[in-house]
Amino acid sequence: MTVSDDEARPTVVVIDDDENVRVALQGLLRSVGLRAELFASVPEFLDSNRTDLPGCLILDVRLPERSGLDFHDDLVKAKVHLPVIFISGHADVPMSVRAMKAGAVEFLTKPVRHQDLLDAIQRAIKNDRARRDEEQIVAQLRSRLETLTPREREVMALVAAGRLNKQIAAEIGLSEATVKLHRGQVMRKFRIQSLAELVRTADKLELSRPESRVFSTKV
Amino acid sequence: MVTEMRKTGIDVVGDMPWGTHICLLYETKEDLLDTLISYFKTGLESGEFCLWVVAEPLTIEEATDALKDAVPDLDRYLADFSMEIVSGSNWYLKGGTFDLRGVTGGWHEKLARASARGYAGVRVTGDTSWLEKKHWKDFCEYEESLNEAVANQRLAVLCTYPLVTCGALEILDVVRTHQFALARRHGSWDVIETAGLKQAKAEIKRLNDELEQRVVERTSQLTLASEALRDAQADLARVTRMTTMGELVTSIAHEVNQPLMAIVTNADTCLSWLASDTPQLDEVQKAAERIVADGHRAGDIIKTIRALARKSSPEMTQLDMNDAIAEVLDLTRGELRRHDVSLETELSGGLETVMADRIQMQQVILNLVMNSIEAMSAIMDRPRVLRVISRIDGPDSVLIVVTDTGTGLDPGKVDRIFDAFFTTKLEGLGMGLSICRSIIEAHGGRLWASPNRPYGSIFQFTMPVMTKGIASDRLG
Repeated sequence: MTVSDDEARPTVVVIDDDENVRVALQGLLRSVGLRAELFASVPEFLDSNRTDLPGCLILDVRLPERSGLDFHDDLVKAKVHLPVIFISGHADVPMSVRAMKAGAVEFLTKPVRHQDLLDAIQRAIKNDRARRDEEQIVAQLRSRLETLTPREREVMALVAAGRLNKQIAAEIGLSEATVKLHRGQVMRKFRIQSLAELVRTADKLELSRPESRVFSTKV
Repeated sequence: MVTEMRKTGIDVVGDMPWGTHICLLYETKEDLLDTLISYFKTGLESGEFCLWVVAEPLTIEEATDALKDAVPDLDRYLADFSMEIVSGSNWYLKGGTFDLRGVTGGWHEKLARASARGYAGVRVTGDTSWLEKKHWKDFCEYEESLNEAVANQRLAVLCTYPLVTCGALEILDVVRTHQFALARRHGSWDVIETAGLKQAKAEIKRLNDELEQRVVERTSQLTLASEALRDAQADLARVTRMTTMGELVTSIAHEVNQPLMAIVTNADTCLSWLASDTPQLDEVQKAAERIVADGHRAGDIIKTIRALARKSSPEMTQLDMNDAIAEVLDLTRGELRRHDVSLETELSGGLETVMADRIQMQQVILNLVMNSIEAMSAIMDRPRVLRVISRIDGPDSVLIVVTDTGTGLDPGKVDRIFDAFFTTKLEGLGMGLSICRSIIEAHGGRLWASPNRPYGSIFQFTMPVMTKGIASDRLG
């Protein structure tokens, strides 16, 4: 297995301050062919260079006060986007609601049924993969967006907003032929064929057309 | 006030209360003088009015001279009528006849006058050598009535009878009619007990016995009460222990759940490998070994909890304080984590064992740790640090210290924190520290509190090491 293969293989990050629980989880994951990395605390994980591994995160919620839920906020602040599976010794309804609202994949109670855990892990890994794929696509589109001239961007945004070539020409003071030319350039640079594709691309890039003549792209 | 004791000046008698009526049977004139001179000297020195009724063969002059040898101020006493020495025939036989009422009246008249003049009371003696057979019966009647006449009066009467003129019958009469009788023969003393005295002594003995019986009863009542108190204290200690454990219950449940989680997960791992197409037996074995270890871990936690919840009398054993501390800290791990408290321990190696009840020691440590955690729960602007230290404290003592970085002790209340029912907590019984202190003191140790620098508090206690004997029966 090459390093790049290894890096590409999903990893389950286990954060639990109980070493025995960590090691047990690692054993279980290994038995189903999953790789685990173990951390005793969220800060320890954040300090590692492993925060961008593909996979998911199993986080012990612990007891109410400074809980796993708060640590989850830390993760969000640190822009760690790994899907999170919470496990807790004593889950109550408000806690699980809060966890799910915060975007948890699953909220499981200790001791955990291993099938529930493995299902959640599969789901989380799938989510992560989808998110990463999506992110990759958006990144590619964004790099293509960079090749557009300001005029082309302007035209693209207006097309995506549903304007006809004629309307666009009137709005920005160009001839309809020139608008067509810009539009053709956009399609070529994004390697797309249809209007529908253009609209979808603009959505993914979150291009918007405000009322003013100033165009902005949300990045 | 009539029971006020007076010195008699007569060694064999010692002190007497007012209202005493006794007799002296004497052999020789010297025997008589010796006794009376001391009797009057004491009376004069005690601020009493003294009346000496003298009879043949003693004369007033002889009496005066003899007394003057002992009392140099006698002339002054005679001059201001603090002392009168009169002749028996004049006193008793006014007009040649014996008049019972007249004589008794005479004593009372002297008493009234003495009281009016500020004397403490009246001390008299009368000799009966003038007494003839024909008067004997009347005189006995007088003596008998005198017991009542002097009772409750500031009056003491000493009647003197010459043995030479008294026959056995007369002596019997004399002894019968006085509270008690003294006999002085050639310088040596006899005390003749009368029925009254015997009765008094019997009464005293009875009272003593009764008193002793009551002391025995009270003692056994007290023993029962103190046993009940001890039981109550033990119950109270247990209740506070349970209260503390109640506060811990969430953490404890978690503590037990952790190994349970590990066990279930490890067992799933075994099953998962065994079901796989390529079972890895070394992985199965490792997982199984982890199951065993986690099972023991859960068992240990439960054992500690059950021990703390146990209802039993204290049991003194050789105890390694570090062991006891470690178990308590295991139990409070969840609680520490829950309150985001970091724990630092400095447990000194080579501590000598102490003689103590393990549960009670752990109760004290648990209580101090829980108090510290609670004192830090509101602290947001600095680290929450609990330190537990054990060390040797001199040749025969170990010291256990628990410090925190919490809110600290209110200087105005620091003296009261060990009082029963003193609490700063909303839901506290206020018994925790009070019980801790009694437990430590019952073990021969000392528990005290002081401020930590720059913030927080320090609780520490000493325990005597094994080499010293400790009374186990004081434990509650």
